[in-house]
Amino acid sequence: MTAPNDSGSAPVLRPYENVRILDMTYRYGSYAGRLFADLGAEVIRVEPPGGLPDRIAAERGGSAAQARFLFFNASKKSAVLDLDRAEDLSGFDRLAKGAAIVFIERGGPMYDRIAHLRAVAPQAVVTAISPFGMTGPLADAPASDLVLQAAGGIAWLSGRIGEAPLSLPFEQATMVASIYAAAVTAIALVDAETKGSGHLIDVSAQECIAHSLQNALQVWDLEQRISMRGGEGTRDATEDIFPCKDGFVFLAAPLALGASFQSLVQYMKDLGHPSGEKLCELRWQDREWRLTRQAREAFRAIFTDFTQHYDRETLTQAAIEYRIVLSPVSRVSDIFNDPQLVHRGFFGTTMQLEDGRRIAFPGPPYNVTPPIWDVSQPAALGSWRRDG
Amino acid sequence: MKPRFLEGVRICDLTWAGAGPFCTKIFSDFGADVIKVESTRRLDSVRIGGPFKDRKFGVNRSGYFASRNTGKKSVVLDMKSERGREILHELIRCSDVISNNFAPGAMERLGLSYESVCAIRPDIVYLSMPMYGASGPRAQLPGVGMTISAVTGLMWSTAYRDGDPVGPGTHYPDHAANPYHAAFAVLAALRRRRLTGVGAKIDLSQVESTTNFIGAAVVQCAMEGRDRPQIGNASEEAAPHGIYRGAGEDDWIAVAITTDEEWRRLAPFIGLDGARGLDRATERIARRGELDQVLGKWLADQDATAAAERLRAAGVPAAVVAHSQYLIERDAHLAGRGYWQRVEHPELGRSLYASPPYRIDGERVELSRPPLLGEHTREVLASLLGRSEAELDELETTRVFT
Repeated sequence: MTAPNDSGSAPVLRPYENVRILDMTYRYGSYAGRLFADLGAEVIRVEPPGGLPDRIAAERGGSAAQARFLFFNASKKSAVLDLDRAEDLSGFDRLAKGAAIVFIERGGPMYDRIAHLRAVAPQAVVTAISPFGMTGPLADAPASDLVLQAAGGIAWLSGRIGEAPLSLPFEQATMVASIYAAAVTAIALVDAETKGSGHLIDVSAQECIAHSLQNALQVWDLEQRISMRGGEGTRDATEDIFPCKDGFVFLAAPLALGASFQSLVQYMKDLGHPSGEKLCELRWQDREWRLTRQAREAFRAIFTDFTQHYDRETLTQAAIEYRIVLSPVSRVSDIFNDPQLVHRGFFGTTMQLEDGRRIAFPGPPYNVTPPIWDVSQPAALGSWRRDG
Repeated sequence: MKPRFLEGVRICDLTWAGAGPFCTKIFSDFGADVIKVESTRRLDSVRIGGPFKDRKFGVNRSGYFASRNTGKKSVVLDMKSERGREILHELIRCSDVISNNFAPGAMERLGLSYESVCAIRPDIVYLSMPMYGASGPRAQLPGVGMTISAVTGLMWSTAYRDGDPVGPGTHYPDHAANPYHAAFAVLAALRRRRLTGVGAKIDLSQVESTTNFIGAAVVQCAMEGRDRPQIGNASEEAAPHGIYRGAGEDDWIAVAITTDEEWRRLAPFIGLDGARGLDRATERIARRGELDQVLGKWLADQDATAAAERLRAAGVPAAVVAHSQYLIERDAHLAGRGYWQRVEHPELGRSLYASPPYRIDGERVELSRPPLLGEHTREVLASLLGRSEAELDELETTRVFT
């Protein structure tokens, strides 16, 4: 299969065409195979009879599990093999011999048979995704997305002082672990294909999260300060969420960020609002003071006195015109009507649900010209056959 | 190990700040030749943003910069001067990839549109990663990582309670979704180029990339026509599920019961062993408030680390809510896996780096230090572009290297 070429000329080879991937992930690694599948790889989920846990959860569970299954397994195929049966294990071995990549996950098929897997598929990049890695004292420790966000340090960084740390929504441990797994697997594949021998990659979700903490690790190492949730003591008074007429906007106008603050002041002055003059007071040029709680409270009072008169769209248009770093705080349901995403046709793809309805589905995370991305429905359990 | 998996790939890297350099770092960590083209007139914002070694400002003393630029070379050029541009064009000619994360239009103003770069290097892989993509009614909206969180729904959904968004405490999309989607796209484009000889233009809208990072929630919203409720650390699918206070000052423990079996393991700790009406998730979710209270009360008297260890030993998913010091100094598991590296640097000393978060064939990827500002200007121009010492002196005197 080839992707269409927008010039209408000869079709363009997709990057992972002719690459076979066996995917036995069902949670933390499940987005990795999806990324390859959308770019042309033949990604075959190897499932036990009845399916991998994510399929079972989608069949038994509510819409969250169904949505996860649809999003993470789009473009993938499905084969059923009972790896406890000698005949099926032989079939798996034959498949693995022709695979360039094998994704496995703790608790899933083949995770405890890596030596066998590597013996039958020495050419393959075997990427093992697990909550805490394959080695170390927590290698077998129970985990969840929330627990991994805590153990990796990202939960600490969000929330308000005086309340509990706040985790990020929507399975971010899965997303972070999967994206790191995908990138390193793509790199290892370059080497495996060059040298004819594969690699074993041991991806720890906890480590992936700890690798994504902005500058918190360096703040401790170099300045012996612990980065606090909400940016307390480090974030400029302007960097926050503020109410407006029909919801909220997010503003970032520290003095270090180009002309955002000056532009904001100019905008308010142009509209004749007194808040513009108030922000011209000398104290707003003091970067250190702007980090204090007092400055934060003062700015909030001044700015919301202004924003209460305007809606998100008006403020967003002003941000574009004046070059202010400001944006609407959207709900997930708002993004289907985001004018930029609509303009770019981001939700141009649809997926069919079991009840026959078609729903909007996220477009590609990157636009590549000539085009290489395509997405299709997840396969029914066991629908893949060797002949097609 | 110092893997050379990407040896032979050269990137002319114009990215700056967070997301762009984090993307190209993975290439330099794996042996690609990443030439970071910088300007002393408009410094990379993370060179001048802290933290700094000993809290002393310096363009080579930022830990943030260091963590995003390991193994790269730094060339300083006045890209707005004619001679600077000539040199840049020569660098592009011998590069496989050119990368930027500027706002739309900036590359065109530098004379580096995709078409212009293709005229120099026809099979180039050209990566742009502006906030909202190259074109459209909001393409010119200025943005940072947090504005990306704001417009995608991630900020709204990071909240303790209904109607009160808090948002991620970091520029989160800059630190995973966008750099790694970008890296994956570049790797794919390079692969296709190896197979076909054809380059590629990659327009990575950081908003579209981040929307995929919350893709399952987007799909659920499309299915149900409603937003998931803002319920903080709780879950619509499981209970108890939260972050609870421990005995120490600002000590917290995450506990998540995601199966009935895990509930049966937790129940004896909190005096609910055999309690009726809690066997199933739906029952526990209905009594979430009550369970949070009981579990919270039990944990409130306990040392967070010890409590998490006890629960884990019993098969209950639990962890201390780790901060940076805890991760670096107290997390025995990360230390045991050799996660931390110290790398010598002329101004930062033996400073700390997180390893790439995986082991390859049982080994860690060993990092090389980040470059000083302009450290490799003369070396790159001499070795790659064949400039003589006299020419280099002249370019330096005429301030092309600024």
